[in-house]
This record gives sequence, C-alpha cells and structure tokens, in this order.
Amino acid sequence: MSDRTGPGFAPARDATAQEQLSVEQPALALRGVTRAFGASRAVDAVDLEIREGEFFTIVGPSGSGKSTLLRMLAGLDRPTAGDILLRGRRVNDVPANARPTAMVFQSLALFDHMSVGDNIAFALKMRGVARTERLERARGLLDVVHLPASYLDKPVTQCSGGERQRVALARALASDPDILFFDEPLSAIDNRLRKLLQVEIKELHRRTGKTFVYITHALEEAMVMSDRVALMRAGKIVQVAPPLEIYDRPTSRFVAEFMGEVNVWCAVREAGGVALPELGLAFPGETLPQAEGLLVARPEKLAMLGEGGGAQAIVAGTIVDEFVLGSRKQIHLRPDGDASRPIVFGEIPATPDAPAPGARVRLGLAFADCRFVTE
Amino acid sequence: MSARPETEPGLRPRQLFTALVVVLLYLPIVSVVLASLANTRYLIFPHRVWTLDAYAEAIGQYTTAHLHATSFKIALVVALISVALAIPGALAFARYRWRGRRLYQRAILLPVFFPQPVLGLALLVALSAAGIVPDWRTAVFAHLVWVVPIVTLVISIRLYGFDPAQEEAAYDLGATRLQAFREVTLPAIAPGIVSGALFAFLLSWSNLPLSMYTTGADTTLPEWLYSRMATNYSPQVPAIAVLSVAASALAVVAVLFLRALRRAVGRRRTTSSEASTLAHPARATP
Repeated sequence: MSDRTGPGFAPARDATAQEQLSVEQPALALRGVTRAFGASRAVDAVDLEIREGEFFTIVGPSGSGKSTLLRMLAGLDRPTAGDILLRGRRVNDVPANARPTAMVFQSLALFDHMSVGDNIAFALKMRGVARTERLERARGLLDVVHLPASYLDKPVTQCSGGERQRVALARALASDPDILFFDEPLSAIDNRLRKLLQVEIKELHRRTGKTFVYITHALEEAMVMSDRVALMRAGKIVQVAPPLEIYDRPTSRFVAEFMGEVNVWCAVREAGGVALPELGLAFPGETLPQAEGLLVARPEKLAMLGEGGGAQAIVAGTIVDEFVLGSRKQIHLRPDGDASRPIVFGEIPATPDAPAPGARVRLGLAFADCRFVTE
Repeated sequence: MSARPETEPGLRPRQLFTALVVVLLYLPIVSVVLASLANTRYLIFPHRVWTLDAYAEAIGQYTTAHLHATSFKIALVVALISVALAIPGALAFARYRWRGRRLYQRAILLPVFFPQPVLGLALLVALSAAGIVPDWRTAVFAHLVWVVPIVTLVISIRLYGFDPAQEEAAYDLGATRLQAFREVTLPAIAPGIVSGALFAFLLSWSNLPLSMYTTGADTTLPEWLYSRMATNYSPQVPAIAVLSVAASALAVVAVLFLRALRRAVGRRRTTSSEASTLAHPARATP
C-alpha cells in the first residue's frame, strides 16, 4: 500500500529531500499573526512553523481562536497584523482560490445538489479540466478514500455520515494541494466511525506525504494522529510539542489540565528539599527552579503500594470514587488528615479484588514524575 | 422499529379530517363548474338544463382569448421581474450580514401587510401625480410592489437552509466569487426560485384589487369576472372562470413537468458520461 501512487496526489517525497526542505524553509511560517475583531483579538500574535510533510494539530477549547487561525491559513480570512509565509512566500494577500491549499470543513460543506463525482471533481472543473478526464480522476480518488467507483453518480445527499466524510476528503485532495487543512471534520460523528476515520486520515497522510494541519478540540484526536501538537488558549499558542511530550512535560497548568486528568499541587522550595504543604508531603534533597510554584502529576504516576512499600513520598487515604478505564481504573482518594486537603487522583489495576470506594490505599509518588509548571 | 402496522385499516380521524379539508377547499370550485353548465341568466341550482353552451360561446369569443392574453402577459412579466429582483433581495435578506439588515428585513415585508385596495389606490394617485397613464404595464408595477416581498421571502427560506460554508468551499477549491455563486449557490436555491416564480405568476394571475386601480383601459381576467358578476351575468362568467382555473393549473403542471424533465436529462447525462469513459479506456489513464 505504501508505494501506491494513485491519481490525485503525488508520490511521497523521498525522505532526504524532505529533510532538506524542512531545514531550508517550513511549509508554513506564521510571524506575529493577529486577527482582531474590534477590541478583542481572536488570534493574538501567533508565531509558528509547520514543517513540510508534517501532521500538525492545533488543539484548544472552543473559542480559543483555532478556527480563525485556520481560516487565515486557508485564505478565507485575513490577518490584521503579522505575516503568513507559505514555503517562504508571503501569502497574506493571496485569496483562498489562488493558494495551493485545500480545506475539509467542519460542516464538510459538500455541494448537496451534485453527485459524489461532481463534488470530488469540482476543483478540476474550476481548472478547466474536461469532464471525462475529471470524472476519471474522481474515480481514482474514490478508491483512495475507500469508496466504490459506483458512487460516482450517487447524489451526495444519499451518502451516510462516514461516506460524506470520505467524499469531503477526496474533494480536498482533487486539486493535489500542498497543504490540507482540517477544521474539526470528525466532531459530529459517532465514536467508532471517528476512530476508523482517524486511522484513515493518518494513513492518507503517510501515503501522500502532504502537510496536514488539523484542528480539533478533542485531545485524544490530537494525540492519536499528530506529529506535533500546538495548544491554543485565548488566541495564543501556549505550547508546541510532540503529543507524548506535551502530555508528559506540560509547561503550564492550562496545558497539564487540558491534556487530561492531573493532580496540581502548590510546591515550596525549602532548605532540605521541596515541600507540598497541601498534602503535608516533602521530597528531601530535591529542588525547584523557583522558590514556589505548581507541581503537576498524572494519575498513572501515583501507583498503589503494598503495605509498608517504599516510595519517595506516600499519600495514604480512602477511595471516594472510581472510573474504570479498561484494564486500569482511576481513583479519587481523600487523603488522611486535614479535611481541607485536595482529592488526589491515582490509577490502579482494575482487577476484581482491587480496592473499591471506601477502601484505604497508599499511593507512592516519585519527584521525577512530577512537573514544575507556571500558572 | 415501531410496532404499528404501516397501513391502518378503516377510516381514522386523521383521514376523515384530511378528506374534510380537501372537500371544503375544492367545493367552491366545483360549484363554479356546476354554474357554468347552466343556461340561465342568474345563479340557481339545480339546473333544469345541463349544457356546454356557455363554453362553446366563451371559447369562440375574442374577449376570452384577449382577457387570458392580458392576464398571462402581466403574470409572466411579473414572474420574471420579481425573480430577478428577489434573488439579490433574498441574498441580502438571508445570506449576508450587514448594517441595517434588520430594518431592511422589516421594510421589505411591509407592502404585504398593506391592504391591497389601499395600496392600489395609493399607486393610482402616485401614477396620476407623475402623469403616467395606467395600462397593463402599470399593473405589472403594482403587482410587483406586492409580489416581490413574497418571492423574496420564498427564496430566503431556501437560503436559510443553505450552508454558506459551501460557497467558501467552492472558493477554497479554486472558484472565483462569481463561479462559486453560479456553480453552488444558484443551483442550491434553484427550487426556491422556481417556487417563487410560480407563486409570482399565480398571485398576479388572480389579483383583483391592485389590477382594478392600475390597469387603466386594459382588463384582466379577474376584473372582467368581477364586473360581469356584478352586472350583466351569464353562464359565460363561470365558464371563463373555469377556463382560467384550468390555465393556472396548467402553469403548475408545466413547472412540475419541466422539473421532472430536467431530472431525467440530468440522469441521462451522468450515465452517458459513464458510458463514454468506459468506451475510451485509453483516456482513463493519464
């Protein structure tokens, strides 16, 4: 499958050429890109470099400005300040219909009065390709997105949700764009189909070697598909990193909490080490980059200890709640002692004899598994 | 699925109600048909003589053809102009957000809420003040004042159901603004345009109050029916009325037929393109 060079896209570029290109210039570079609506800034001085052939995901809560950013990249909106460089060329004033990019819209925006084939071939029609030829290309693209060739004449309104997604993908690929943009295309479909299409989009990325810029508010989608993830908040990019890194090593509380359930504690640097006053814990011999700040730890870093087991620090308490995640379950622990102590999130195996709510457990924590973050 | 059978035996309240509505809607027309089959100079039922004389007379008369021609001419011009005005009007109404849109949305609907005789009178006064002698063309203008808002609304409803991202998608895929409109927006709202044109035609065809004030020396069908009903009645009046109902029904049927024809042609075109790609496999591989 990997060597297929069907119609509709160029074969994947050879790796060394791609490497050179990415060293020389990014596929997309943003310099202080801002989009203001009156006094508010939907996108606020964003600097970003997206590499050639990369699967780059911008993730953030609704209203964080990610859609506005994507629309500017596609040429559907113009920045009020800053520059967008496409392979080194400033494209601020190049409209969407003249950019070598294509977008898969959130609503898919399929042309409901057309057949599947005419939808897919639309970009080719706009380029003056003859009908016979463009339908032939559309037939090839149907194959690329795993739809039967008999769908060519099918009215697009008669397609199921998943089929419509595939038609939208094929339509965006038809013009052989350098960059594909995805504006939360999978947000409105059921979980199983979403997973399947995630795999297919990822596979498509590998096969085409094109640059994919994907936006979503679904964290899991970003984690599964991306080479790198940018997290956006209130118009600004707060962290850019590969998915695992952004999960394991968040730089701010916002990122840590956005990327999943997490413990957040105040930490204080003391003479003998680091103290967590809220829990009455201490890590002797450790230190912090600042006198005080926040430490975050993922639930899975707090593992259950046997009675008397050793760890750097031990949180003992009573389980108040549990959420089964397959073979493991997340527990909410009320620490012993002062009632004002925060609930601690931990993770333990979900075996039949595992402690249930009401049971007492001891969770161990290593300082190396905690991250120091800014507010 | 539902446990209820698809067809329920016996007459249910719902069916009875539907039948009642249909009867009440069409009974008046049936009574006109019955009246046209009489030979008396006043409306009476049941007739002593059943005859088609009135039809024979009406069809043979120049007046009948002339009345239909005048009404048809006005209705056709009204339909064409109102659609031409209502398409941009509906885009402004439903598609684009702009300053003053709410005011526009209200202002454009105002003529519909005006009592038509008042509107007709107002237009007549305005025309004579401007020194324009009324004839069928001023009637076209009067009908437009009343019909354009309605057609605008009909097309707007279609536009509200149109995802504007489709236009952006077309633009993103290389279309110019004009191409995006022609290839995507226009076909999407086409059913609304056809309904709007049909509406315009029928509303103009059957309009009495505006025509009475603004046709001048020309006479439309409804005007003639009304005046002959008031004085000088004969079975020719209901006979011509039935003919005019048949004519407007014909307009509806014609539109439905054209729509079916277009669909059939569209189907044939896609299948023939299929056939041609199969016939030239050499072209298929670039």
